[in-house]
Amino acid sequence: MANPKDKYKIPVLDGKIPIPKIVPGASAYEHMNEAQKVDMEALGFPFKLKDGWKEKAIGVFKEILDNNKAVRDYMDICVRCGACTDKCHFFLGTADPNNMPVQRQELMRKVYRYYFTPSGFFKSLSNSQELTEEVLKDWFTYFYQCSECRRCSLYCPYGIDTAEITMAARQIMDSIGLGQKYATEVIHKVFRTGNNIGIPPLALRNTLDDLEEEIKEESGKDVKIPMDVEGAEVLLVPPSADFFAMPHMESLKGYAKVFYKSGISYTVSSYASEAGNFGMFLGSYKNTKEINKRIWDEARRLKVKRVVIGECGHAWRAAYTYSNTMNGPFDFLDAKYRQPMHICDFTLGLVKDGVIKLDPSANDDKVVTFHDSCNVARGSRMGDFKGGQIVIPRELIKAAANKFVELREGTTKESTYCCGAGGGLLTEEVMNLRLAGAMPRMQTVKEAVDNHGVNFYALICAICKTQFSKIFPLHGFEEEMVGGIHQLVSNAIIM
Amino acid sequence: MTPLNLTTAIFLFFTYTVGLIFVIAVALRIYQYATTPQPIKLPLTPAPLTAGGAFARILGEVVFFKSLFKSNKPTWLFGYLFHIAFFLLIFMHFLRHFIYANPLPWWYDIFVDIGIVCGVVMVLSLFLLLMRRVVVERVKFISLFSDYIILILIMLIGLAGLSLNYVISPAALTVVDNQLDPYMNGLLNFQFTNIPSNPVFLIHYTLVLLLVLYIPFSKVMHFVGIFFSPTRNMVDNPEEERYYRPNAKDLSI
Ligand code: HEM
Ligand code: SF4
Ligand code: SF4
Ligand code: SF4
Repeated sequence: MANPKDKYKIPVLDGKIPIPKIVPGASAYEHMNEAQKVDMEALGFPFKLKDGWKEKAIGVFKEILDNNKAVRDYMDICVRCGACTDKCHFFLGTADPNNMPVQRQELMRKVYRYYFTPSGFFKSLSNSQELTEEVLKDWFTYFYQCSECRRCSLYCPYGIDTAEITMAARQIMDSIGLGQKYATEVIHKVFRTGNNIGIPPLALRNTLDDLEEEIKEESGKDVKIPMDVEGAEVLLVPPSADFFAMPHMESLKGYAKVFYKSGISYTVSSYASEAGNFGMFLGSYKNTKEINKRIWDEARRLKVKRVVIGECGHAWRAAYTYSNTMNGPFDFLDAKYRQPMHICDFTLGLVKDGVIKLDPSANDDKVVTFHDSCNVARGSRMGDFKGGQIVIPRELIKAAANKFVELREGTTKESTYCCGAGGGLLTEEVMNLRLAGAMPRMQTVKEAVDNHGVNFYALICAICKTQFSKIFPLHGFEEEMVGGIHQLVSNAIIM
Repeated sequence: MTPLNLTTAIFLFFTYTVGLIFVIAVALRIYQYATTPQPIKLPLTPAPLTAGGAFARILGEVVFFKSLFKSNKPTWLFGYLFHIAFFLLIFMHFLRHFIYANPLPWWYDIFVDIGIVCGVVMVLSLFLLLMRRVVVERVKFISLFSDYIILILIMLIGLAGLSLNYVISPAALTVVDNQLDPYMNGLLNFQFTNIPSNPVFLIHYTLVLLLVLYIPFSKVMHFVGIFFSPTRNMVDNPEEERYYRPNAKDLSI
């Protein structure tokens, strides 16, 4: 078997994150596979470009401009100051100028100028461009080289959010039949089975049984992971990877132990067995809402009092930001609690109230560092104070482990670098892009390992976990370094 | 009252036309930004939890360019100097109209000197901003024709303005000043008098008209758009208070 290291272009790790010299077209070859017919149709999109696609696309573009203040505003006001140009991990990793956030926006803005502004009249001078198949090809390439992480927005003087523009572009492409296989396939699976992986209820129950047994062997306690139980207090919705993938399952064990020790009754659901929401990646309101709705329908059906979401970055952003807008209000739930609540918030509350006890020395073999998931850090909040999404995970780590170090200043908290695989990019065909996108983050990991002996990389995102468990070994780090915060909790909780 | 000359007639026509286009186009833009629904909450977090906090956040961006400061210090410095000088100059141009009287107040010369300093700072910072577009590879790559044009246009306005103080004779400047005051009054109360005929002044004036005409159709609309930017002006409270816009189509988030 060929060594996977030969297959990929693996960036050299020397701890530095230089701003590269521009190399036009450097990552133009990194393509997504196109969506399949069944998946596109299941999501309400046409399949393949049909006659009149251009008019259709411009029509949808117009509708978005008329119905989305962010896109409307951001099309006009960029001054090309360049402040964002060195902030995107994909530009730092690939050197492709179309991965500079402003240039990514220009791909769309030049079409905007052509159709929607008088300056479209002075074609060459104003950089306006008709929507041709050529342009569409660039869109399909570069709007799928954005992980919608919003780092550029943080540094833009107007807060121009390239993620919004990426979403709008994907929405336009989907509406004329040009979709991406990975995300559409995943959403179709959710509609069929309730989760991204496509696990049917029986198989889910089987894994949960296995997990219960594992916990029993490890701790000697009868920790249950109930499924579809009516009348439980809490509906727990983890990302489905927590049921099946490693190291995600270790965190699920952590959740289960927390519920066991606190005595709060809970259940997972086979219908809403997914916290993730890939509808957001497509920028599709309709699909995002449909996926989100499953959680709240199930909360009603199971008559729970509260909803808790597991460790997942974009899932938390979707649940936190969109739930109430799209499928609220939640007056049928207990108004005492945040609805939904993040599992870290939930667990830390129990620790602080003394309901559960953690012994941090159980993790003394570990030097822990923490990667702020961009969707959590820049797109959501935990707790009832500003910046809770930054503070709460750290407090929980410190309660569960004695040795904690921060990654390099300026690459953490709201300035965090993305893992390079969010926004629907967690797919094998763009592995080189994922490696390039993860480069800035990996440089800081390398530094933390070399200088502080870090050997545990704590995450609260299913996609981050999958991405890093794949990338770490390619860089010569142990795959076992990657894990969730609740994996630490699972080790430390006094049973 | 002397009869109006042709130059004045032409400038009057263009001044009102440009003024009208500016006001209408900017008003339409504001209306458009204000009425376009924002389908979901979009604050870039950590974000303020109260409306007052969100307003303070916008103010921080408008008054100090806070995000730009975080991201790029030289750009911040050049850009900030330019904007400060620019706004002081606009303000002083208006103010001048009210304090220009006979006899001149004793501090008028100091007032003019401050204006000149602002003018020099503005032109210099514009030059640095321009150099940035030529020298820094990434910024050069993203720069469009219109990005150079606007910098050069404002720079020329500044240079023409400074020339009024340094190129033409003090006596000629006094003539311009004495004619300008009634002309400006006339624009407001429709009692028209002749525009100063000094060519340097007319160049300065024409370039300003061009700028004002161009603004509503250019990236300079950022001075309006910044107030409507959802990532900056929204309150982070989706759980506490239901955010729902029934007029937003189920389209793009
Ligand atoms: C609320 C008012 C305004 C705010 C907050 C504001 C803010 C900014 C910021 C943050 C930048 C980017 C930094 C830079 O490149 O300098 C910028 C650029 C610019 N602004 Fe403004 N601005 C305002 C009003 C205006 C007005 C009225 C003009 C009129 C001409 C103007 C002209 C420009 C130009 C030409 C640039 C581009 C500079 C370049 O090419 O590098 N701005 N503005
Ligand atoms: S930082 Fe904002 S205004 Fe400046 S170039 Fe980037 S997107 Fe445009
Ligand atoms: S949202 Fe993230 S990935 Fe997309 S352009 Fe901005 S920094 Fe790059
Ligand atoms: S997977 Fe994690 S780091 Fe990557 S985009 Fe999502 S939240 Fe950000």
